[in-house]
Amino acid sequence: MNAPASPRGSLAALTLPAVVFTVLMIAFPFAYTLWLSFQSYTLGSPERFAGAGNYLALLRDPLFASGLRITLLLYVLSLGLQLSLGTYIAVLLHASKRFAGVLRSLLISPFVLPPVVVGMMWLVILDPAIGAANWILQGAGLPRSDWLASPRWVIPTVALIDSWQWTPFVALIVLGGLQSLPPSVYEAAQIDGASRLRTFWRVTFPLLLPSIVTAAVLRSVDLLRFFDIIYITTQGGPNDSSTTLNIYGFREGFEFFNLGYASAIMITLSTIVLGAVLAMSYARRRVQW
Amino acid sequence: MVSETALRRLAGLQLGLVSLLILAPVAWMVLSSFKPSAEVTAYPPTLWFTPTLDNYRQLFSSTPFARYTLNSLIVATGSTLIGIGFGVPAAFAVSWRRVMWPALVTLAARMAPGTLYLLPWYLMFRWLGLVGSYWALILTHAAITLPIVIWVLLPFFDAVPHSVLESAQVDGCSVARTLWRIALPLVVPGLVVSAILAFIFSWNYFLFALVLCDSDTKTLIAASFNFIGEGATYWGALMAAATLIALPPLVLAFVVQRRLVSGLAVGAVKG
Repeated sequence: MNAPASPRGSLAALTLPAVVFTVLMIAFPFAYTLWLSFQSYTLGSPERFAGAGNYLALLRDPLFASGLRITLLLYVLSLGLQLSLGTYIAVLLHASKRFAGVLRSLLISPFVLPPVVVGMMWLVILDPAIGAANWILQGAGLPRSDWLASPRWVIPTVALIDSWQWTPFVALIVLGGLQSLPPSVYEAAQIDGASRLRTFWRVTFPLLLPSIVTAAVLRSVDLLRFFDIIYITTQGGPNDSSTTLNIYGFREGFEFFNLGYASAIMITLSTIVLGAVLAMSYARRRVQW
Repeated sequence: MVSETALRRLAGLQLGLVSLLILAPVAWMVLSSFKPSAEVTAYPPTLWFTPTLDNYRQLFSSTPFARYTLNSLIVATGSTLIGIGFGVPAAFAVSWRRVMWPALVTLAARMAPGTLYLLPWYLMFRWLGLVGSYWALILTHAAITLPIVIWVLLPFFDAVPHSVLESAQVDGCSVARTLWRIALPLVVPGLVVSAILAFIFSWNYFLFALVLCDSDTKTLIAASFNFIGEGATYWGALMAAATLIALPPLVLAFVVQRRLVSGLAVGAVKG
């Protein structure tokens, strides 16, 4: 008779396919990119050790500097808009229980749409010559805009598109936080005779902060490595004015096949994303209750 | 002092405005797809028109749209199956042993920019001669679906009482059998949710197909990116394509509504 296999061993065996897959598809490629980032390697010619050469070149590269600036501008604009509007919509939803059910199904639609669909949709609406957006602006007596075709407005426009898609997501996360608050905290504030606005800022908002920071972490990961909507609508233009770091890295890698340099860009970007996530996880622990 | 009803009405009014802002662009896309081609690009835009299916006809006659749809289905289904096949046993083991690291490692794919993995993947699949094959797309998309399946299923497995699993052990059930016969039937709802989320994510995913597909394996997403380059003359067909591609994720999302947000928040809640 065989002794029954210890659950310890067989449980490890159950994770084996996932672990092997992760090593082959995630860990090894990550290590390879890290190694590539220290090589001078253009597809077709042999790689050669470059030390920190790629990283030093980044420091002197004006496109990297502007990519970093554009990435951070887009990040700050979008995150600010999505967190503030999202929290506001969550509070509205919480206040009006009648519509909450219907609206919830409506709110999920933007962020389950494929980025390609969102891009195509807004390209048509925001067309400078014949788009519906300028028609509405004109009807309201406001100046027309070139939207995605304007070097000056392309990033704010992308921030608007991303906020259209993801503010509802933030709202639903914050709504989840609101619904888990014990009703007793409001009763106490009401007995003290605090005004509604005061109750919100002094009682509700601090208790909501953990959910808001959770939403911020999730959005930060996506926003700092922003790629899809920009590549679909402008490919980084006009004149590189929407070339984020991720777009820049992709183009160096897959248009110019500077694989070493592209790897250095991607490793730097990943470090930025990781830093932001760690900082926010720390912040979340501070606001936990 | 403002009355309670007045406040509630004010909130309702603002929510009406929010719904309008969310709906209007999607409605515009769907409306445009049914406009006669001359009116799609008319300025000022027309709101009243005789609806026609011309744009859809043009889409199917001038592009292999059905083929692209099939490609998308193959890739999304394949990567969902791999995600489920590898993710279910992993989630079960992680939940039982309460060891988090295998689940955390899979999250790396969600944190780093896709381009970081795409560079070595491209070289890897080129070396294997698999660039342009379904396998390249299915395997890369599985890197997205696997963490979703594991993290969505974890709370479902956590909810299975340990005593049930242990008594199965005492009765001489192997671990694999305990998973298959005892635990799996208890987490069927989680299985459905994770499969649907994985499918949506793979269906929607843009970046990998951009580089790894060829003309035979092009997914709907990669194909429609090429449509955009063809310009404004085909706006009607473009909107028809966008409408059709949006349908599967929208329909599936309504099925899993409540679980959708927690599914997207994968990792952030516990991590």
